[in-house]
Amino acid sequence: MTTAAAPRKEPRRPWTPSQIVLTLLGTAVSLVFLSPLAWALFTSLKSETEAVEVPPHWLPKEWTGQAWSAMLESGNLTNWFVNSLVVSVCVTTVVVLVASLAGYGFARTEFRGRGPLMGLVMAGLMVSPAVLGVPLFTTVQQMGMVDTYWGMILPQCAPAAMVYILYKFFQGVPRELEEAAFIDGAGRWRVFFTIILPLSRPSLAAVGIFTFISSWNNFLWPYMVTNNPDLMTMPNGIATVMNSYGIQWAQLMAGGLMAGLPLIVVFVFFQRQIVAGVAHTGLAGQ
Amino acid sequence: MTTTSAETVLRPARATTAAVSTTARRGQGFQHGGWFVAPFLVLFALFVIWPLLRGLWLSFTDANISGDAAHFVGLDNYREALDDPLVWDALGHSAWFTLLVVPCITVLAFLLALLAHHIERGKWLWRLCFFLPFLLPSTVAANLWQWLFNPGTGLVDHLFGIDTAWLTDKSYAMLAVVVCTLWWTAGFSFLLYLAALQGIPAHLYEAARLDGANAWHRTAHLTLPMLRNITGLVVALQILASLQVFDQAVVMQDFGPGPEGSTRTFVQYTLEQGFTSYRVGYASAISIIFFVIIAAVALARMWLLRNREEGGR
Amino acid sequence: MGQGMGRPGLDRRQLLAGLGGLTVAGSFGFAALGTGADALASGADTRVRYWNLFSGGDGYNMIAMLDSFRKDHPGIDVKDSTLQWGSPFYTKLAMAAAGNRAPDLGVMHLGRVTGFSPGRLLDPWDVDLLAKYGVHERDFSPELWKRAVIDGRLYALPLDIHVQLCFYRRDVLKKAGLLGPDGRMVPVTSADEWFDVLKEAKKATRKGLQTIGLWVNDQNFQWWFFVAFYTQLGGTWFDAGHTEVTFDTDKATQVLEFLRRHLTEGYANPGFAGGAGAEQFVNGGPFVWEGNWSVPVFDSAKVDYGATPLPPVFGKRATHAESHSFVLPHQADRGGPANEGAHRLAAYVVTHARQWAAGGHLPAHTPTLSTAAYRELEPQSEYVSAMDHQATEPKVWFAGSTGILAQRVGPIVVSATLGSAKPDAAARRMRSTLTQLLAAKNPMDGKTAAEGGAAA
Repeated sequence: MTTAAAPRKEPRRPWTPSQIVLTLLGTAVSLVFLSPLAWALFTSLKSETEAVEVPPHWLPKEWTGQAWSAMLESGNLTNWFVNSLVVSVCVTTVVVLVASLAGYGFARTEFRGRGPLMGLVMAGLMVSPAVLGVPLFTTVQQMGMVDTYWGMILPQCAPAAMVYILYKFFQGVPRELEEAAFIDGAGRWRVFFTIILPLSRPSLAAVGIFTFISSWNNFLWPYMVTNNPDLMTMPNGIATVMNSYGIQWAQLMAGGLMAGLPLIVVFVFFQRQIVAGVAHTGLAGQ
Repeated sequence: MTTTSAETVLRPARATTAAVSTTARRGQGFQHGGWFVAPFLVLFALFVIWPLLRGLWLSFTDANISGDAAHFVGLDNYREALDDPLVWDALGHSAWFTLLVVPCITVLAFLLALLAHHIERGKWLWRLCFFLPFLLPSTVAANLWQWLFNPGTGLVDHLFGIDTAWLTDKSYAMLAVVVCTLWWTAGFSFLLYLAALQGIPAHLYEAARLDGANAWHRTAHLTLPMLRNITGLVVALQILASLQVFDQAVVMQDFGPGPEGSTRTFVQYTLEQGFTSYRVGYASAISIIFFVIIAAVALARMWLLRNREEGGR
Repeated sequence: MGQGMGRPGLDRRQLLAGLGGLTVAGSFGFAALGTGADALASGADTRVRYWNLFSGGDGYNMIAMLDSFRKDHPGIDVKDSTLQWGSPFYTKLAMAAAGNRAPDLGVMHLGRVTGFSPGRLLDPWDVDLLAKYGVHERDFSPELWKRAVIDGRLYALPLDIHVQLCFYRRDVLKKAGLLGPDGRMVPVTSADEWFDVLKEAKKATRKGLQTIGLWVNDQNFQWWFFVAFYTQLGGTWFDAGHTEVTFDTDKATQVLEFLRRHLTEGYANPGFAGGAGAEQFVNGGPFVWEGNWSVPVFDSAKVDYGATPLPPVFGKRATHAESHSFVLPHQADRGGPANEGAHRLAAYVVTHARQWAAGGHLPAHTPTLSTAAYRELEPQSEYVSAMDHQATEPKVWFAGSTGILAQRVGPIVVSATLGSAKPDAAARRMRSTLTQLLAAKNPMDGKTAAEGGAAA
């Protein structure tokens, strides 16, 4: 990805015919990709009756913010937003902390049973709430954590994949760095926190970004474990509560855009970091 | 990524201090190693291993949702599952979805990446456009396409001047879910391809250019082979994710099974049995069957990878 | 890439770090508190958590009734939550009760109560407390009350009766000459007459609109219509002891052929199968079969329409009916002010059902039904007779709105209506499914319908 940043400094090349064709093609494809969102936006600015008019038309004849204000006034969205934030922030914090510790432990320390335990973690890659949702629910039910924040947060905090990614990363960190510190009398923990962690900031950021996006957008597990609408996260609330307004498409679109907006705004500001984070985490599976 | 740059900068130091390494590591590592992994292992044991074992146990019982004591019923649940036409239907729907999505998304993501890689101006803009849908929650993406496919008022039918009952006709309902999925998730694989394309050393292209290869040849004989690994990864990730499809399918069909049950996926059927029919024991049995299938796919991939590596040597 | 963010000045970086730290700390604090943002903001003494499945016009009416309750009882904070209608609602309610996080009050279709494990997932009503708040058994139809009692205890407090109706547009029917002098649709007494009506109506319908919307691909609606017409034919399901299936495949075939004919003769367009049927009606389609809950929808769309029970095409009058009722989801420590508040709220809504009737429902509380205010409601007065000709599902654990019965048998009806299965084959499949279900054990108590039958 370092190459991604490099071309910016190159002098601009002239428009060649092939560049013109490619740019036009890119524009066309981008329009196709963005048109559903534009359609949602325009729908959300129509009145409910105009939204379902046949045949459909792009621009509202009468622009109105009623769908947006109705969504905001209902109060649910603010609740869900807070819940999404609480859950995603907690999950991300715990995952980054716990997975970096474990990744380092597996990569760089010796302890009894390390090999088999690492094998077990690798096997954990195959388990997800989609595969074992029902038993996972009964487990959480036994712990009395149905309809609680912890019930939503903790089961998302044991992603074997993130441990694996950081494990691979720590394996690549030169041992010499640590050993110089050991010779100076530093302990494992100090080495980890003062030398290794600062060095791995980009990888931690990648894991953190990826975890945050997946947690923010996670639907299946919060859907299973929360029933109380007050505790629902944004994707869950939109799907299980807001849909109950039935044919009120303008409001549904407004709510959907509101749910999607935070990450989109964040993306526009931190594009390079997010792209690198997602690519890095994805590629680590190689 | 900067991780690589950090590595390259620091690598030369390695040879000189290698000798000290083993002693220092042993001495310090043994006491603490376990504590580094302990927090993760606790969570992992509670929320991955324990549910797996519990699911296995429940699959031999008639447990219900209330958490009351269950009775051991032996292999009854498994026997019933193999005889249950809906299990096979649901498995078929998930497999059909996977079969449709994986090739489409791989090709689409590759083409998008090729496009974004070769346009010299406004790289951030293309990246933004193609990746943006992936940032939406699955449920929002599904609601959006439900609206786009809505009979009469939907944009899709209107734009193409057709009259297709996307959501209500059993031959199209799954296709609608596929289209939604392509739009929503292609951006992820697109990024992986883009990163891989940018990782191909530029001097290889220069060399090919000097040899007189045209753009088409360069793509076919240089880019494609260089992307073999990443394609394997994309396909594997997509297969595993697609088999577990749930969100889009249920939301587009208002949590129902679709016209004549045609979009009921395996995950959905498991949850229906567990949470709607309250049959936790039976749901656990089909979950275990599903786990075995997923594990088989994952292991097959590992086996393929290893074979290829060995072949490469 | 982390360093690539540019090099913000130290102050900005510290500020960001500080904000980040605050967010993390705040999130963990919030999670530790364990309550939603909303509960934190509420300061009332008694908080009654109430879950319902009312959307659209029903939702609007329910909220209006809750608001007037709040005004009369300022000490009780009612926290109402509306969830997606249908089986997701029951799933959520069951899971909350099983996880001991149930709300204080819930809404349930009466037909679902038997299967919802009364005693396990539901707590019984305190009848004395209800009486204190003005609700008495004598104010309800005995039939209805009996459906709510299991093992001698009241598990559901009926709120209404809702029926499937045939909505028609006066403007189109007038053009087609199908409107009587009283402004109501001409009566229909046989299937042939019904299709004649459709034929005439089709001629008067604008191009691009279907003649009738009847949810041809919806397993719930198709099942409800089936129940209605099957009951018109005098069909039965099981014997009294729930040991034998008495389902009549000939009668069922007749009903399935009747439903199918709407498509083969081109009156219903599968492209407008679902909710689009109502949109077509609003846009000028002459007929739609819908639940009475569509009354406020069509009212607000200013459609000139009337509504009758489903046409008695097989002679006897019957239309599918279900009831909304209030239930107390199981709480291990039920009691105290929240429980009393739940009783008070349910009693209030049941006895102030005039507003509820605006949603098209027939109030279960009979004193309301006989008020002059109710009698003046249109088109309610046109179909109020439907409550005397109710076609309901059998009282077994797997029945009830969107229950297992509907989920298993509904798709078979749909397959026949859409033509992917022959009516007689579908009828046989229905019968074999009913046989299976009758032999199946209720997962909550391990009993079959026959074994649990005595209790129910």
